[in-house]
Amino acid sequence: MDTIHETYFNAMPCYVTVQDRDFHIIDANEKFIKRFGDFRGRYCYQVYKQQPEKCDPCPVERTFADGRQHRSEEIVRTLDGRDVSVIVYTTPIRNGNGEITSVMEMSTNITELKVLQNQLADSRKKYHLLFEEVPCFISMQDRDLRIVEANRLHREAFGTYYGCKCYEVYKHRDKACHPCMVQQTFIDGEIHHHEEVVTDRHGRRINVMVTTAPVLNGSGEVETVIEMSADITQIRQLQSKLSSVGMIISTISHDLKGLLNGMDGGIYLVNTGMEKDNKDRIDRGWEMVLRNVDRIRGTVLDILYYAKDREPEWTALNAKDVAEEVFGIIKPKAAKSKVRCERQIDITDGHFEADAKAVRSLLINLMDNAFDACRVDTKKNDHAVVLNVSETPEAVTFAVKDNGIGMNQEVREKAFTLFFSSKGAGGTGLGLFIANKIAQSHGGNIVVESAPGEGTSLAVTMPKKRPENIEVTEIEK
Amino acid sequence: MSATKKILIVDDEADQREYLATVLEDNGYAIVTAEDGVRGFELARAGGVDLITLDISMDNESGIKMFRNLQGDEATKSIPVIMITGVSGELKGFIERSKRLTPPQAFFEKPVDRDTLLDTVKSLVS
Repeated sequence: MDTIHETYFNAMPCYVTVQDRDFHIIDANEKFIKRFGDFRGRYCYQVYKQQPEKCDPCPVERTFADGRQHRSEEIVRTLDGRDVSVIVYTTPIRNGNGEITSVMEMSTNITELKVLQNQLADSRKKYHLLFEEVPCFISMQDRDLRIVEANRLHREAFGTYYGCKCYEVYKHRDKACHPCMVQQTFIDGEIHHHEEVVTDRHGRRINVMVTTAPVLNGSGEVETVIEMSADITQIRQLQSKLSSVGMIISTISHDLKGLLNGMDGGIYLVNTGMEKDNKDRIDRGWEMVLRNVDRIRGTVLDILYYAKDREPEWTALNAKDVAEEVFGIIKPKAAKSKVRCERQIDITDGHFEADAKAVRSLLINLMDNAFDACRVDTKKNDHAVVLNVSETPEAVTFAVKDNGIGMNQEVREKAFTLFFSSKGAGGTGLGLFIANKIAQSHGGNIVVESAPGEGTSLAVTMPKKRPENIEVTEIEK
Repeated sequence: MSATKKILIVDDEADQREYLATVLEDNGYAIVTAEDGVRGFELARAGGVDLITLDISMDNESGIKMFRNLQGDEATKSIPVIMITGVSGELKGFIERSKRLTPPQAFFEKPVDRDTLLDTVKSLVS
């Protein structure tokens, strides 16, 4: 090697060796010698790695075999015992006949780069872990409100719905929510908070506190919006229970005032009927007293069902008798409201165990709701409410069907929620909540089928035999 | 001798209508009844009504809407109205705050004190 080449060789900012076919190091630059010591008479793998055999695969061997350059990443050990990460390049050295006589191996120290790479990988791993394991539902939406990313809790609760619209996944709606916090963040780039009720893929309703925040691209534009939802269902259940105490007192006291006035009316008619010796007036007054006492009793039972898990008073009932009794109570109301009222009793046995008053109250409640749904439906002239009774060997089903206004999915999902009413001032939001609680306290359930403009079916199924273990799910706002 | 005064009772509850009607008839008034705000307004516009007792929470059309209709119609705006409801206090506050409504002549909260009601009716129709 002439002097100038030797100078370049030694000045190379990397470790350079020249090796023969037996992996003997036949030459090395100063940087190599300084880090790895005397190479003379030693094999490459002894000097570089302090190991007794050649590496597998060996880039030098590959270059001798195919005459091409090769690259690999290796960890080598210096004289002072430090492990150093290097990128290795091998190049063939040929004689005048083109035969490979030796291979030059250049190793660049990339330890610092490697450390940075590892730190970056660790950091990414930590953020990924944080994103994945944080106890909130996290998703990222694009401008079309499509979910582009979601964390583990989100995927478990709502399924893997990448590419689907968020309102379809969370709310089962076919239109964006109004207001939509994600859109709001896209518009103003600000963080927004909102409380929502969403439904997971198992149908469980979850109260969530939603926070939306912008994710900016390199130009500072909002590229996606991150939506983080904390499950506050338990808090809301507790708050609802507490606040509902006040609301229920207000609601019930309003109802009771009217009923007390009715009682006053009945007593007035009875007293003045006796004074005037008017038997018809006495009879009408007494009927009024009885009717209002009965309604007060019903209201009190509603409060009890709400206030605590009242144990049903189990008796043997016949579904046909129950249906006929309810039909008899409801029919005068139907005649008044011009809604046809029909019953279809398709049973041969129909015996079941239940609390008679509770079941009657539940069915009257469902029928009342059906009439209300017809009454507010201005798009049809002919309305009907049908009470259908059917049975299986294990259960009886009372289905109340109407062709009234119907419910969309959002209303359907909230129908049994305490104080949720789609009737505005006309509803207290207690009726269906208590109806559902009664069904559950009997080991039964209520299935809702409804479509806007078409009508609703509320089917109460109750086991014929009194179940041993009954679970009552707390469904709150 | 003055003619018998006619009172229109508007309430969706049959018991409430019958109670008020009987009390007022016993005290010499002629009665007409309506079970919702739509029918109530029709009867008021038909003429001859000297006073209206009006429930608020009714299924078909609320008492508030009927009251608004009464005030907006030349033929009915001067008929005295007694509102009878279970939420008198809150309602009174609501109407008093409303810029679009003139408060009715009287509010009564259920259960109604009969003697006070009769005194009020008497003073309003005389």
